[in-house]
Amino acid sequence: MNEVVNGLVPSALSRPYRYVKLEWNADFAMLTVRMGVRPIQCYSLAAMAELQQVFTDITAHPGLVRHFVMASDVPGVFNFGGDLSLFVLLVRAHDLDSLRLYARRCIDLVWWWENAATLGVHTTALVQGDALGGGLESALLHHTVICERGAQAGFPEVLFNLFPGMGGWNLAIRRGGFTVANDLILSGQIYTADQLFRRGLVDIVVEDGEAPQALERMVHAMEPRFRGTMAALQARRVAAPISHDMLLTIVDHWAVTAMSLNTRDMRLMERLARAQVRKVGGANEGAVEEIKRMELDTAWGFERTGVSEWATLE
Amino acid sequence: MSTFFIELVGLTDEARREFETSSKVLDIVANGLTIERYRRFLLELYHVVWHFNPTCAAAASRMSDQHRVVRYFLYDHMTEEKGHEEWVLNDLGVVGVSPQAAQAYRPTVALLGLNGYNYWSADRRHPCSVLGMVYALEVVASVYGGPLTSAITDSLLLEGDRGISFISSHATMDAEHMAELRVILNQVEDDDAKNAIVESTIFNFHQFGRVLELI
Repeated sequence: MNEVVNGLVPSALSRPYRYVKLEWNADFAMLTVRMGVRPIQCYSLAAMAELQQVFTDITAHPGLVRHFVMASDVPGVFNFGGDLSLFVLLVRAHDLDSLRLYARRCIDLVWWWENAATLGVHTTALVQGDALGGGLESALLHHTVICERGAQAGFPEVLFNLFPGMGGWNLAIRRGGFTVANDLILSGQIYTADQLFRRGLVDIVVEDGEAPQALERMVHAMEPRFRGTMAALQARRVAAPISHDMLLTIVDHWAVTAMSLNTRDMRLMERLARAQVRKVGGANEGAVEEIKRMELDTAWGFERTGVSEWATLE
Repeated sequence: MSTFFIELVGLTDEARREFETSSKVLDIVANGLTIERYRRFLLELYHVVWHFNPTCAAAASRMSDQHRVVRYFLYDHMTEEKGHEEWVLNDLGVVGVSPQAAQAYRPTVALLGLNGYNYWSADRRHPCSVLGMVYALEVVASVYGGPLTSAITDSLLLEGDRGISFISSHATMDAEHMAELRVILNQVEDDDAKNAIVESTIFNFHQFGRVLELI
């Protein structure tokens, strides 16, 4: 028997999770999942396993959850995507099969999000902090993306010779069109919330701290037309399809590309990770600022000297 | 098909992340070390490296032909690692610690525990457990060695490889070792050996983290 009390998560969904916190709003049958992988918020193997379990439980109880909300429990960060140390470990072990396995686990999650409408679940990302790489991919997967004005996001992968492989292309094209997707992925640039909104990549931008109220307003407004909205979102998938085969083909290409990362590329990844560690420790600047510095260096350092600091890393 | 290497990565991922995210390790990666703490780090490291080959030898001497491929791997690995404690001594010399002082240094209880466990495990638990030690230390070197090197170089204003030759060279060298180790781990078939390797990996990540906390 499932409880339907506000705040108390129904027993069908309740488990002793370590990296995800569940919150329940019985009025809207709304499940909020707050991910908290500390100190650097990312999709670690354990966090992904817990998220997969949440999805399995939702799928096993049709009709229980009508709204799924993805949020972060780490201040200032929505999600930084893949576990960079795990990537480095598998690339250095030349272990394509294992990297592919990790990537396919990501696609399992992506595929649940992509099919949520057919389960009668509307999904919303509450982006209250920075989202990089796989973190941005996971935000774009939701039917609605609510972004606070102070959040910044981008796909920096190209800066270390990789690309977003877990649906990034498909989702960016679906939301913003081909030109926007090209700019977003091939530039490696970081965008502000307003820039993301202007490009159609996020749906609602609100002031910092106001995302929960915006969510409530949206869910409230949707309530009388919920069934129609869900039917329309299912039809949207037919109109702009993303197939499982397509996702697997791209992610396999991503894994093969990752295997060719060289020492310089991995140093850059380590440098971003180190910048974020410093920010967690109290420094003003983290990975986002480091990426911006790399952009500036690429644009101006090379212009002036013919050499960019990043290009000389070995 | 799932291989033992990916099983090992998955089963020990929590321990690896706990090492990576311990506040002391984060602090070192973010801010580097003072010269005093770097000396202590190298002194501890000297005793890790000194015992690495003897532990491998103890394990190899207890391996039957069922694990001959592991034993032969250890022979080659020991040859490659031979003399590396001298590299640590050289780095210690750069930061003002004599070889005599390094040899006379009394390791922390955390390090005594680390070395003690690895000898015990090779002797009493399962000789293949030594691969857990090798895996954990190579992950520490190849995945975290780069950021640690950068942090220490920045904080102590060291030039080139002076004073950091051991960790900077192992950050690169152990990348190749990791690929070789993966091939060997995937040839381990019996569950007793696999369980011992997993346990040893978890312990080594945990205990190496404790060592860094005490420096």
